[in-house]
Amino acid sequence: MMEKIFRGRALPYATAIILLGLMMLPVYWTTVTAFKPDVETYVFPPVYLPRNPTIEPFRLLFEDYPFSSYLKNSIVVTLTTTFIVTAIGVLAGYGLSQFKFKWAGTLLWILVFTRIIPPLSLLLPFYLLVSWLGLVDTLTSMILANIYLTYPFAVLIMKSFFDNFPRALIDAAVVDGCSRTGALLKIVIPVSATAIASTAIITYLWSWNEFIYAFVFTSTPSAQPVTVGCFDAIGDIFVNWNQMCAGSLMAALPGIIFVFIAQRYLVRGLAAGALKF
Amino acid sequence: MRFSGRWYGFLLNLPGLVIVLLWVLFPAFLLVYTSLLRYDNVRPIVFAGLGNYIALFQHRLFWFSLQKVAIFCVSTTALTLFGGMALALSMARITKGAWFFRSLLILPWAVPAVISGIIWKWMFSPDFGVISDLLMKVGLIDTPLSIYGNFDMAMVGIIVADSWTRVPFMGIILLAALLSVSPVLYEAAMVDGAGALHRFAFITLPLIKGPAMVGLLITTMFSFRTIDIIMPLTAGGPGRATYVFGYYIWDQIIKTLNFGMAAAGGMVLFFITSLIAAIFVYISRREA
Repeated sequence: MMEKIFRGRALPYATAIILLGLMMLPVYWTTVTAFKPDVETYVFPPVYLPRNPTIEPFRLLFEDYPFSSYLKNSIVVTLTTTFIVTAIGVLAGYGLSQFKFKWAGTLLWILVFTRIIPPLSLLLPFYLLVSWLGLVDTLTSMILANIYLTYPFAVLIMKSFFDNFPRALIDAAVVDGCSRTGALLKIVIPVSATAIASTAIITYLWSWNEFIYAFVFTSTPSAQPVTVGCFDAIGDIFVNWNQMCAGSLMAALPGIIFVFIAQRYLVRGLAAGALKF
Repeated sequence: MRFSGRWYGFLLNLPGLVIVLLWVLFPAFLLVYTSLLRYDNVRPIVFAGLGNYIALFQHRLFWFSLQKVAIFCVSTTALTLFGGMALALSMARITKGAWFFRSLLILPWAVPAVISGIIWKWMFSPDFGVISDLLMKVGLIDTPLSIYGNFDMAMVGIIVADSWTRVPFMGIILLAALLSVSPVLYEAAMVDGAGALHRFAFITLPLIKGPAMVGLLITTMFSFRTIDIIMPLTAGGPGRATYVFGYYIWDQIIKTLNFGMAAAGGMVLFFITSLIAAIFVYISRREA
């Protein structure tokens, strides 16, 4: 009897649905609260399905807090970081994977070492540098920090992808008269588009989600990203929880979107980067 | 060909090398240097040798926060392994809709940690919290639960919330490992009459041990240093019930502004993290 249940398909589905259902509770609760009027937000026992759903919390969020500024800062910082890190990461990963050179081993070791250094340890020296450079409360300070935080992982992911890149393709291109750079631009990069997308998406999410560096480096809405904005707002004496849920939802939106449209790339990238670690 | 392979590979790494030197190695050097200074933003900065480290080791709160983070880190890792394993085992046998299930699995990973903290704070709300209500409906508690009034519950609260953000990564790693185990092995074992538990212990477990170690290493390392999720949720409180080591360093930077001590704390954090990594690497090497 037990054996039959274990071998069947019903048990895995039931377990997965129950466990994932529990895991989705915070997501559900945030979404529901974000669309509740105040009377349904501040009651106990809580309301599980809003009776009068409203987008008022979203509207008030932009009215009561400089939320559009937070979003703009996050987008600028994140896009810039992603562009720089992906571009440099692809080149470095390709170089480390396909060419033997003197410092390759050392470089790779330094990258792994960099991943082991806790970001919290480097927060103070980084802050000192940022203040010496006069970059406190600027978007640049966060871009610099996010480059440090994401670059090593990006290279390690790209290298692990390039390690499996069909060498014959490159050789064929070189035989056809392509220069090394030509082969890289015309063959390697187009063929690796999905791998590059994985790296870019993970970099994007990491810098979008970054909080502690941004919190220390910025102090005004002109530079604060959305993570810091939301955190500041829950420090107020009175917290507008339905608005905060609306804000949280928007802060989590890039993650939610990428998880559904690019799940395969995310999984591949994470597994590749982690196992290379 | 203008460049030899040697130079070309190095050239491709040049921009990255600049990042690593300026962004990582220089701050790392600065960290070591600052940890040797008396730099408390009150008195003039002077060289202090190992003064900060001695002060650190004599500080009761330092040991207290290490104790807190040990409890937090071990519990989070255990809960994450358990949750990730349960999910990976059930999802490995799902074919229809696998795409959707996997998307849900990684969703919490993609939510900013500080936002997760905010969300859990709302769910744990002593006045309007959904968790209190659900636990009361199930009959586990009679009165609304407050993680802000109970020291042990506060720790449980941050452990649950932090595990929630870490289960996806563990789940993905284990799922990938499970899917790479050949079904032929299971069939052969079943023919030989091995039960489900035996198959798990003698086929699955040995084959996914490597990836599981990687998942454990990363979960342990990351939860050891996390403060993002704790900041909005309990802010180290109530009292100092959730005052983990990361918070100790954080307060030295933000509140007491004792940069020398903060740097020494950062060095200790780095050494402990390296030690964790070394232990895991040692165990995996020995068993491989």
